[in-house]
Order: sequence, then C-alpha cells, then structure tokens
Amino acid sequence: MAKKRTKAAAKPHILEGGRKRVLVVLFVPSVERDGTTAIDQQFWVDSALEMFGRVFGGATAYPKAKGIWRDNERGGALVVDEPVVMHCYTTPADIESARNLAELGRFCRRMGYDAHQGEIGLVVGDEYFAIHDFAEE
Amino acid sequence: MKTQLDMHKIAKGLGAERRGKVAATGGYFGAMQLLADVKAQFRVPDGGGRPTDPRWTERRLLPLAPRTLKRLEELTAKVREHGGANVEPMQLAALLLERTTEKLSEDEAEELVRPKRRASR
Repeated sequence: MAKKRTKAAAKPHILEGGRKRVLVVLFVPSVERDGTTAIDQQFWVDSALEMFGRVFGGATAYPKAKGIWRDNERGGALVVDEPVVMHCYTTPADIESARNLAELGRFCRRMGYDAHQGEIGLVVGDEYFAIHDFAEE
Repeated sequence: MKTQLDMHKIAKGLGAERRGKVAATGGYFGAMQLLADVKAQFRVPDGGGRPTDPRWTERRLLPLAPRTLKRLEELTAKVREHGGANVEPMQLAALLLERTTEKLSEDEAEELVRPKRRASR
C-alpha cells in the first residue's frame, strides 16, 4: 500500500538556526599606513563588535594574527601588522539590505579614514572587497 | 541549493571594489580558525574540571563511524600540538556540528537527509 506523501510545504524547518549562512570577515589593523604608528586597535575591535551585533546580530573577534600588506601607492612598501580578524555570520537578506550595507560601509570608511589606512579589507561570502575611498557619502 | 548573493549590489552598497573569489574554509586558515574557536569558547567550569563551552548544556548520544572518530582524534591531537588547547574528540565534534548548523541552509539540510534514490515501489 502506498504511503500518503506529506507536502513539502507542510514540513517543519529542519534547522531553525540554519539561516545565518553568509560569513562576513573584517580585518582590523594594528598600525597606520606608514607601518609604524600604532592605532587604537582595541577601540576599533570594540566598535566593530558593537556594529556587527547591532546590524547583523553578532560577531566573533579572534586573537591577534600576523599580517602583511603591500602598499602599491607607496612604491610597494610592505606594511607589517597584527590584525584582529572578525567573523560575523549573517543571512543573505541581511547582507544584501541597502541599509545594512550602508552602515557596514560607513564603519569601514570611518576606520580607514581615522586610522590612516590604505585599504580596508572585507570578505563577504566567497568574495574579497576592498575599500579605498574613505570620503563620507 | 545555495543562495547566490548579488555581489555587485554588495560592492555598490559598501562603496567597495570587488577583488575576486576567496576560499577560506580549509587548510591552515581553517585549522587556525578552529583553534581560535576552541580558545574563544572553552572555559573551565566554576566547579573545576575540563574546559568546555558553558552554553553546551544538552547531552545526546551521537552514532558515528570508526573512521570519523579516528579523524576527530587525529584533529584534536593536532590542535593540542599546535595550540596547547586540551580538547577532546567529541568536544571537537560538537564545535564542528555547531559551526555547520549555523552555516547550513534549510534546503541544504533537506538535500542531505533526502534519500539519493527512491524505491520504485
């Protein structure tokens, strides 16, 4: 005897918490573009956590890492720093929201400008984004 | 099925330049991320004992293949070797399960549990 099929639409969600599947990675630098002047990294880590929490629902800041960045606009000078890598899991809808993107972009530009950076790096999903122009929109 | 993100819209909204695809879930980066997760989440309980994640209050029996357990044992040995974190194989399993369920979409989960081939009758 054939079993009665249940409609897919009537099924309960298998994983209620499975919607946050887009990873956003932000690098918080430790030095200015000159490679020697320290920035207030803790302030920017705390500010980024607050922003990610408020806009996207949460984030994790990892311990300091070792990093290097080639500044092509300064003759290829190598900037060595100790960035803090931040991870934020969010939803496709939240990351594509114009309002949320504007807030995230605004934060990156403020950090880039105030901390005298050459570039702010951001990974969204499987793509790397670079922010160079720190002028307020 | 994965939802495709509109990367052009994201770049425009951020005021950023698209620089290309990345793969940051495996290899050394993935291992270091795992180690950082362990260090960030695990705490020694108030009453003493092995460090664990205080949010892990539920306990369930989890069936798994011997080769999976072996792999977990190898991974925890590596974690101990590189970072000194004293993590047990099933603690690592819980951490991996937590991370995967956060990232997995409902569609992907359904695809995983759906039988590959249907019986004709």
